[in-house]
Amino acid sequence: MATKRVAICAVAQHKNGSDLWHKRFQGMLLDVLEELQAQTGFTFDEETGVNTIVSCSDDFFDARTISDNGVADVLGAQYRGEEKIAQEGLNAVGYAQAVILSGYADLVLVMGHCKESQSESRRMIANMGFDPFYGRAVGLDNLNAAALQARAYMKKAGLTEEHLAGIVVRTRQFAARNPYANAREIVEAGKVIASPQLCDPIRQLHAYPVSDGAVGMLLASEERAAEFTDRPVWIAGFANCMDSYFLGDRDLTANFALKQAAGRAYRKAGIADPRKEIDLVEVMDAYAYQQPLWIEGLGLCGDGEGARFLDQGGQEKYRVNLSGGMLAGNPVIIAGLYRAAEAALQLRGEAGERQAPDLKRAVAHSTTGAAGQFHSVLILER
Amino acid sequence: MTEYFGTTVADIFATMPKRFKPEEAKEVDIAIGYEATGEGGGKWKATIKHGTLKVETVDGDLTGCKTTIHTDAETFVGVTLGKIGALDALSSQKLRVAGDPKFLMLLLPKIFTPYAAPEKKPVSVTARDIITTIAERFRPEKAEGVAMTIGYDLTGEGGGRWTIVIRDGKCAVRGGLADPLTVKMTMEAKTYAGMMLGTIEAVTAFTSGQVKIEGDMAAAGATAKFFRKYVVPGATEAEELISLRVTNAIEQRFATGPVMGHWFAGLREKKFLANRCPKCGRTQIPPREICAWCRVRVHEFVEVGPKGVVTHFDIVYFASPDPLTGAVRDTPYATAYVVFDGSTEREAVTMDLKKEDIPRLKEGARVRPVWAEVTTGSSRDLIGVALDEQEESL
Repeated sequence: MATKRVAICAVAQHKNGSDLWHKRFQGMLLDVLEELQAQTGFTFDEETGVNTIVSCSDDFFDARTISDNGVADVLGAQYRGEEKIAQEGLNAVGYAQAVILSGYADLVLVMGHCKESQSESRRMIANMGFDPFYGRAVGLDNLNAAALQARAYMKKAGLTEEHLAGIVVRTRQFAARNPYANAREIVEAGKVIASPQLCDPIRQLHAYPVSDGAVGMLLASEERAAEFTDRPVWIAGFANCMDSYFLGDRDLTANFALKQAAGRAYRKAGIADPRKEIDLVEVMDAYAYQQPLWIEGLGLCGDGEGARFLDQGGQEKYRVNLSGGMLAGNPVIIAGLYRAAEAALQLRGEAGERQAPDLKRAVAHSTTGAAGQFHSVLILER
Repeated sequence: MTEYFGTTVADIFATMPKRFKPEEAKEVDIAIGYEATGEGGGKWKATIKHGTLKVETVDGDLTGCKTTIHTDAETFVGVTLGKIGALDALSSQKLRVAGDPKFLMLLLPKIFTPYAAPEKKPVSVTARDIITTIAERFRPEKAEGVAMTIGYDLTGEGGGRWTIVIRDGKCAVRGGLADPLTVKMTMEAKTYAGMMLGTIEAVTAFTSGQVKIEGDMAAAGATAKFFRKYVVPGATEAEELISLRVTNAIEQRFATGPVMGHWFAGLREKKFLANRCPKCGRTQIPPREICAWCRVRVHEFVEVGPKGVVTHFDIVYFASPDPLTGAVRDTPYATAYVVFDGSTEREAVTMDLKKEDIPRLKEGARVRPVWAEVTTGSSRDLIGVALDEQEESL
């Protein structure tokens, strides 16, 4: 069977901010849409243009059900086909790939947005993600669920305060070179360690800042990619995996779902040994401890070896989160889509000051649900 | 009599004469024997001869029948109602036919209209039935130190006036309305019965104005906990089916951006500012960043209105409560499609129209905006629209 391929032809990111008070999300999406059109010249022509849009947004953050209905015009989706991903936005890329591979469409626009700042507290929205009777009443949210995982993982992997501070310091150094990142100020390890505990062991600077953002990309079939770019980035594999909804059912440090998702994505991409075949990694690290944890799940080091991975320079070897990662501030529901955009920019050689040399293959990762219930892995190639 | 699928074998035979179609049976001459075994079963014989039908119960053997049907009572009822497939019953030997089964399967639907199980009349409980048991259901432990008189004026069928007196850990029901009352509740008797039986949600009944409360509102809300739930006599309660209440509320604030901001700034000045597509010229209310038809950004603003015309409307009797406050608009009110003067004709805006104007509302009516006393640049600045008297009187 001849394998068909799907290309990312262009990506556009709105600059992330902690409170984009002057702009509504519709306006942010429109900026992203117009930038994608400026880069590629695509239209919405019914014969030759984009007729399928896959979007990602969140009903609670946007304060309306079927939140995509509220942005149809600025997605370019009015009078065209549209679907919304009710998961992290990286899955919109997987969905768009399936749409193109099936032959249903040869061009798909992927768009995502979220303004965390719109809510009194993003933690209240996260709390709404839990079962109303078992989890919500206990006061669970993404932060305190993650802190359970952080404590368990720090013990298992021998991860120290210094390791976590090191991750944050490095994150900010890269974020300073990324014009789209939110938290770009350089910090010292001492400041990280002195930052207040939000939920022990997670300190304020271990957590990604409240973030607003929007991001989009244009995907095309292999036959049509050249119309829109001379630097296509190919989707070599995509997979995701869902774990149990109830936290107590899970071994929080085992990475069960991520290993499944990564294994499937690697098989699709023909990757036998990810440690030898991956050049760059973007993981969705909402909290500092998650960076080495997800690296373990992606198979780039052994189980419980996350601290050693950091000590032995694994972050530079695999060019982990040269964008600054989610830790530098992307909104929760599209932080993985930002990962894919950054990985694509790197493979295209368009990552500016954060550009790494000699890249062939990259991994973008995303997760949704408390403490990594659901994981998605996208493999991109030049 | 044992019931299967909500009916009995005997009822099927008892209704046979009513379901018989003599016209279709003119040429028929047959006696059919039925044997239904088990509880609720028995033996019957149906004799059909040249447009006549005789149905009889048989005590001994079924004799003189050209064909006989043997089955258990449940299968018989099931097959008759179509709940069990006749062919399945035959092939599984649950139903046996001595004679020609195919002939019967063709004949019977022709000469009888299908049997339908009798409709069960719901147990009819009136407000009177419920309220007169209230003293038995009183929970003195929940009403310690409570002293109040609650009047019920229940209108319509099964209604009446009662006063419930709670004092010193005791409860009594008296006919008529006492004076003074801590609280008086007026509603239709069927609303009261519905709330007590759980078919009408109390909160909805209160907020939609179906229950009129005079006196101490808090007392009215508290009464439920003083009494055990009313249970229909003979009904069994499923104790494990519990309903859990959840209220979801998160405060949010939204940026308007320049386009939406222009609209609200206009409201503050009591102006309707639409934005006009540079390509097709349509006016958008609310103004949006782009014209989705033309796929272009829209920058130009034009003032429209303030008067307009109603193109369609509906009248709301049951308003949905505000999920955050539980407050409900005063009903009835009308939802009207209004096209403001100077708007392009397809661009209507949905507005509410005040109650007093509903009797005179018709399509094509002229309306004017009704503004809040103080306008601050929010969605509360515009209360709604009202019929424009000035133009009405012309």
